[in-house]
Formats: sequence, C-alpha cells, structure tokens
Amino acid sequence: RPKTSWADDVDELVSGQEEDDSVRTVIEYSVNEQGKKVKITRKIKRTLQKSVVQHQVAERQKWAKFGAEKGSARGPDRATTTVGEHVYLTLSAGGNKVRPNETEQQEEKKPVKSATGGKVVCRLCQGEHFTAKCPYKDTLGGLETSDTGAGPDDDTAPPVDAAPGLGSTGSKYVPPSLRGAGRGAGESMRGPGGGNRDDLPTLRVTNISEDTQENDLRELFGHFGRVARVYVGRDRDTGAGKGFAFVSFEDRAVAQKAMEKVNGKGYDNLILSVQWSREYPIILKLSFLIIKTEPRADPK
Amino acid sequence: MRPILLQGHERSLTQIKYNRDGDLLFSCSKDHVINVWYTHNGERLGTYDGHNGTVWTVDVDSESRFMISGAADNELRLWNVATGKCLYTWEFPTAVKRVAFSEDDKQVVCITEQRMGYQCAIRVFNINRAGDGNKQSKEPAHMFNPVGSKATVCAFTAQPGVIFTGHESGKVALFNLKTGEEVHSNERAHGDVVTDLQMSEDRTYCITSSKDKSARIHDTKTLDVIKTFTTETPLNSAALSPNKPYVLLGGGQEAMSVTTTSLRQGKFETRFWHKVFEEEVGRVKGHFGPINTIAVHPKGLSYASGGEDGFVRVHNFDDSYFKSQPYGDLQIED
Repeated sequence: RPKTSWADDVDELVSGQEEDDSVRTVIEYSVNEQGKKVKITRKIKRTLQKSVVQHQVAERQKWAKFGAEKGSARGPDRATTTVGEHVYLTLSAGGNKVRPNETEQQEEKKPVKSATGGKVVCRLCQGEHFTAKCPYKDTLGGLETSDTGAGPDDDTAPPVDAAPGLGSTGSKYVPPSLRGAGRGAGESMRGPGGGNRDDLPTLRVTNISEDTQENDLRELFGHFGRVARVYVGRDRDTGAGKGFAFVSFEDRAVAQKAMEKVNGKGYDNLILSVQWSREYPIILKLSFLIIKTEPRADPK
Repeated sequence: MRPILLQGHERSLTQIKYNRDGDLLFSCSKDHVINVWYTHNGERLGTYDGHNGTVWTVDVDSESRFMISGAADNELRLWNVATGKCLYTWEFPTAVKRVAFSEDDKQVVCITEQRMGYQCAIRVFNINRAGDGNKQSKEPAHMFNPVGSKATVCAFTAQPGVIFTGHESGKVALFNLKTGEEVHSNERAHGDVVTDLQMSEDRTYCITSSKDKSARIHDTKTLDVIKTFTTETPLNSAALSPNKPYVLLGGGQEAMSVTTTSLRQGKFETRFWHKVFEEEVGRVKGHFGPINTIAVHPKGLSYASGGEDGFVRVHNFDDSYFKSQPYGDLQIED
C-alpha cells in the first residue's frame, strides 16, 4: 500500500479555529500556486500592551467614531485594517549596487550574505574571482585543495569596515587570523616566549610516496638539524598520503641547507622536490674582510 | 516588520499626514474620501464626507482640532477632526491642489490650479479658532498669482510671512505673503515638476521630490541646495526622518521584470537614503502600484506610505532599525 500523507487524508478542506488560553489557532486549507494543498496554521497570541501617552492622545482614543464608521464597535474592523506579510528593511552603506528584482526568499537570505560585504577575492592571486576559477590555478594552486576544509564560500574578502575582534550587535564575523587582540607574548603554543608555527622556516616537499610517514621525513631531514614539525598531507577518508608534506625547522639556515641537499634526490623510488612553503624574506649576510698590512723589508 | 494595511480607499492615495502627536493618520484619495486612522493599531476612527471630487490634499493643525482639505471640486473645506463635521467651505474657480497650516495654526495656505483662463493662485486664509470654528472669513487675508511656472506645492517656513513653493518647471521659490512678491527663487532646483514638499520640524530646511528622478534638501531661508538624492525613477514623494539621518523616497514607473513568484506582496518600494552621505541604504517593498505619498511619524517611530493601489501601509520600525548604524558610530561628541 503506498504511503499516504496527511494531505491526502483530508478530503474536506475545512478551516477551523480554536482558542486555548490566550493563543488562538486558526487553521486554513488552500491551494497554492503550484496546485498543491497547503495547510496554513496561524497561532495568534494576544498580549496586553500598556503604553503611556500624552493626555490629549488618550482623550482621542475615546472619541466616538463618525462618518462611514458611525456606530461601529471599538477596535479595528477587519474590512479596513489587516496585517500584511513580513517586509524586511536591511540598512547597509554603499549606495546603488542595490538589487532591483529579487524574490522574497532572496531578500530573507540577504541579511546573511551581506555580512561578508559580498566581495569575491581569490586566495591565490587576490583577484576578483573565486579561487576555483583562478587562471593561475596551476602555478599558484599547489595544495589549495588539501583537507583544510576550505571551499568557495571562503573566497569572500573579510569585511572591510569590521574592527577586528568586535563581536557586538550587528558586527560582522571577523576570522581569527584578522583579530587584532590576543597575539601578546606567550599567547601561542611552543617556541620561546610564544612562537607561532607559521613563523618557522618551512619547506614544502612534493612527490613523496604514498607510504612515506612523518617519522621517515623527520629522519631524512633531521640529518641537517632540528626539525620542529612535520605534516604529511593525507586523504581524509583513506589516510593515504597525498604526495606532499611540510617540514618546519627551528633554524632557517638549516632549512636552507636541507632544501639544497634534498631537492632532486631520490627517496623511495621517487625524485623529491623541495621548495620554500611560502615567500621568505631574504636575509643578507654581511662578511667583514679584514686586511692586514705588514711593512715590507727592503730585499736590497 | 509587519506593516498594517489600511484599506479605506477604493482609488489611489493622494496624500497622507500624521498629526503632531503621531497618534492619528489622515489619508485622502481620488475616491473623494478622507479617512482618519489610529496609528497604534490601524483602526479607522472615521471619514470626512462632503467633497465631490478627488481630494488632493489634507493638513491637520497642531492640536488635532481642525483639519483642512482641498479637492478637485474646487473646494477648500475646514473640518472638525473629532466629529467629522464640515465647519466651513470655500469655493474657487479651479481645483485646490495643496493646503498647509501655519505653525501657529492661525493661517492656512492653499494653491489653486491654473485652468481655463484662471492663473494659478496662492491664497492665505486666517482661521478663526474661536467657538466651533464655523465662523470663517470668506475672503483670503492674502492672495497673489505667482509669476511664471504654476506652483504645485507650498508650505510655511520658519520666517514669518514667507512661504516656500515648488513649481511645475522644477523651480523652488520663496514668497512674501503680504506683498505677493517672489523674494527669492532657484529656477534650476529640479528639472521637472516638483511633486512633494515636506518641512523639517523646525522648518529651517525641507525636502522636495520631483519627476526629474531626484529629491533635494533646501535651506528655507537662502534656497541653497544642501543635499541631492538621485534615483532612477521619477519620485512622487519624499519625507524626512526626525530621529535618524534618513530620508524616505517613493515613486513609480519602475521597469519591472516579470517575476515567477506570487504577487502576494507588491514590488514597489519605499527607498531609504542616508541624509548626509546621499547614498541609498535600504528599501521596503510592498505596494502594488507606484507610491504616491510618504509620511514619517513625528517621533520617527514608524512611517506610512500611500500608493496608487489604494492601500496605506503603516510600518512600525523594529529594534534593529533603531540600533543599526550602516556608516558606523558617527555620534558628535558633546
């Protein structure tokens, strides 16, 4: 027997009302634009609102009705006074980039969307397109799709006018990386006086085999100096390696040496590629030349 | 917010006006009817019956005792607000397009239409407030014909004996009532007919709307244009908000695209612009036809709009409206 829904059970479209305490429930059945039966349940709660008004205003409330309303009972007449559907007024700065022909549903979503300012910024090249559509996906793309949970909706630029850290009424969400406060000494884990793992000199190692583990890389790179951290990119479901890893060193010179030595070397039947994981500022090393002069004895 | 729909008119609205305390809203329409409503719940208090033509304009005095209306039946009528009784009728050769009370409630100014050999005229009547109010003088205290383009809107300014007018050509001007002379004018204030004029609370500045798709704020003493709001549709009405830095604009003749959603709610919008930054900050949909008239509660707690569709929609602002600051916290430090 096929499943029936409550809508099919109702043969007569009977509307009704019931009163229970101060809540009146009005049930209406009708047919909507798609020809489907619709049950509309309205729960009306009546509460007493008291307001203090000027004397003359209170006096006017007692006036007898006149003209077409002569003899009418107190209170609004449903023939002339009704309550309309919800309308939304969202106030935002910025003028005429306003959307002329929107449906009600879009309007309802608008307060949510406009929180980000609506500007699309590519994570790779900071252009005005979604990261997935970036023309430089191949060169700059690299490891964008690693399981960091990033998606297209992260491409909107952080709100321009939100003060970092503000969470109060109506303010937009500020991602942790942009919040101003809280980066004092010792706020971050590890490192003397608080170090940030993002400050460590880090190499990106690509073309590693699926079986390569953190410990393998620690051993390989540990040969050059102290390795602070190793991260091997893995498939979220299977746990298999995705072919890349990040190795962070405590010392930049050590990282530099390791990069030079390992890049292009074979490991587990694959040729490793090692690069800096991001743009690092170049540190110039100055060497001092000391010139010594000695008096020359005259050979004659 | 959920607007209260006032369905007391069978034809398009021509003007709506809040009384000084904000508890009453007067509406007049092409259906010859003037309605008065309680604003707190939209209940209709009564109707003022008597006009035989489109009622173009209404105004109410500061005590909510007398109401004045002008109609296409060439009559200016004075009404008792509480009882609906017509106290006095003035008759003219042509239709009355605009009326306004003076700030002290002792005078009214009205504009009569230019037609069939009659020039556009501006008349000022002294209102005798004693007794019932039905003893009024038939003759105006002042009368003159503004030279040039016919006047469409007018109001008293903060300066005694000076009225501000808007004209069909887009001109705005100041007239001295005693002499009937045009004291000052700005011919190019607007590029097309001035459709509405609303004064600030202290009458030192005012906003005008025009079919030239813009609204402007003018200094009522010098006629300097202080602000300009340019939209893409001809505007029928503009209003100032007393407690928030917004102006409300309404108009019609939008190029509407076909929509597949139901028309339970209309698509004509009242637009909110920032008074200082001259940028649009929001819109409220709802009317099924062009918006002809907008009024804001004297304390800025709500606003109402009257449309070509015959509906008056009263909107009570919710908390988010009062708290929102789209341009940040711009309070002037004391």
